[in-house]
Amino acid sequence: MKTFNIYTIVTSLLLLMTGLTGYSQISKVDIIATGLTCSMCSNAINKQLKSLSQVSDITTDLNTNTFTVSFNNNQMVSPKVLKDAVEKAGFFVGSMVLTLEPENLKVDNYKAKIGDTSFVFMDEKKMNSAQVQYKVVDKGFVTQKEYKKLSKTYAKHGSYSSENSQMYHLIAL
Amino acid sequence: MFTSFGIYAQELFVVTEPASNAPAGSLSVRVGQSLMKNDLTDSNMYSLSPEVTWGISKNFMVRASAYLDNSVNSLDIAGAGAYVKYRFFSVDDLQSHFRMAAFGRYSWNKTPIKQEPIDLMGRNSGFEAGLVATQLLKKVAISSSVSYGQAWDNDGNDFPEFQGKSALNYTFSVGRLMHPKRYVSYKQTNINAMIELLGQTITENGRSYMDIVPSIQFIINSQARIDLAYRKQLYASMHRPVADGVFLKLEYTFFNVTK
Repeated sequence: MKTFNIYTIVTSLLLLMTGLTGYSQISKVDIIATGLTCSMCSNAINKQLKSLSQVSDITTDLNTNTFTVSFNNNQMVSPKVLKDAVEKAGFFVGSMVLTLEPENLKVDNYKAKIGDTSFVFMDEKKMNSAQVQYKVVDKGFVTQKEYKKLSKTYAKHGSYSSENSQMYHLIAL
Repeated sequence: MFTSFGIYAQELFVVTEPASNAPAGSLSVRVGQSLMKNDLTDSNMYSLSPEVTWGISKNFMVRASAYLDNSVNSLDIAGAGAYVKYRFFSVDDLQSHFRMAAFGRYSWNKTPIKQEPIDLMGRNSGFEAGLVATQLLKKVAISSSVSYGQAWDNDGNDFPEFQGKSALNYTFSVGRLMHPKRYVSYKQTNINAMIELLGQTITENGRSYMDIVPSIQFIINSQARIDLAYRKQLYASMHRPVADGVFLKLEYTFFNVTK
């Protein structure tokens, strides 16, 4: 299996935890929405996010269009569900930062699995237990310009360009 | 007069529609009123148009409108219309976007046709199809649309024989967020100032008009809108007894009504 590059090996191991534990490993998510500057637009996103049953609270910075989403105990929605909510309001996600609880998250070979969802940590250098904030860098979770740059940077990454909706790629902040 | 209505603040234009759509699952109710000077009768024509807009999905919205006015006698139903808009292109960045959408309108009307302009929002039966592009850059939104309109006989009132039945419509709108300078909460009232240009050329004979519509808009509680506008004819080479007037529009959006 020499065709595997280092990243594939990095991302190919590990299966841990079952869906039963939910998403308690993610304590909050910060979303910056793009394409808007008005409070009515922002409110449309706010209402979409609030309509998700797993969401317990949302705080908003209207000047930067940042939505900080907290969840009910042991409940989190996948990044895609949050992205869909923003898009339903008519806008896009420019940035999504997950705050992880490292003690609840088993990371093996730069990969972690929560329920059916896989998270791949892109930069091993910065990977340490104190690190809690990670930015999702998949298509649709960053601005279109940023995604173009990232796809060049990670052109050789095994899973990054695969656009697997169950797999998220994370960069430590 | 091909006027229409939008959903997003600086581009929530008063008499034109941006490329952005109503949020998916939202239902908004709008009541438009206008008082227009009627040169034929030397009186004012009052119009009332209730409408409901539904965001079916993030890219697709529909709207049903009713048009009432006192042009024939007392306030009576003049017509009704359906409008659809599909957003097919979006490039969004932080605090900016460029979007394009295609739209269509079908209108039914029963009033006598006493004017040359084709107005599918209250005076003519017919259809319209067009494209709109909108650029938002921080506090400023710029939007432009082009459409083709085709009128036919009104219900019980024939289309005048020597008038052109089809038209090219073109609009240009600019809106700017004036207040607040800095947001504190959703409760803050937003104030937008807008200027819109509406033009039409009858394709059969080249007759045209151009109107300018300055307006001020208040967004209350990030959920309700009050628009106040004045429509003024800049030029017209066609018979147009009703052109200038004031508009007052009220709108309330119910979010997440449908999934």
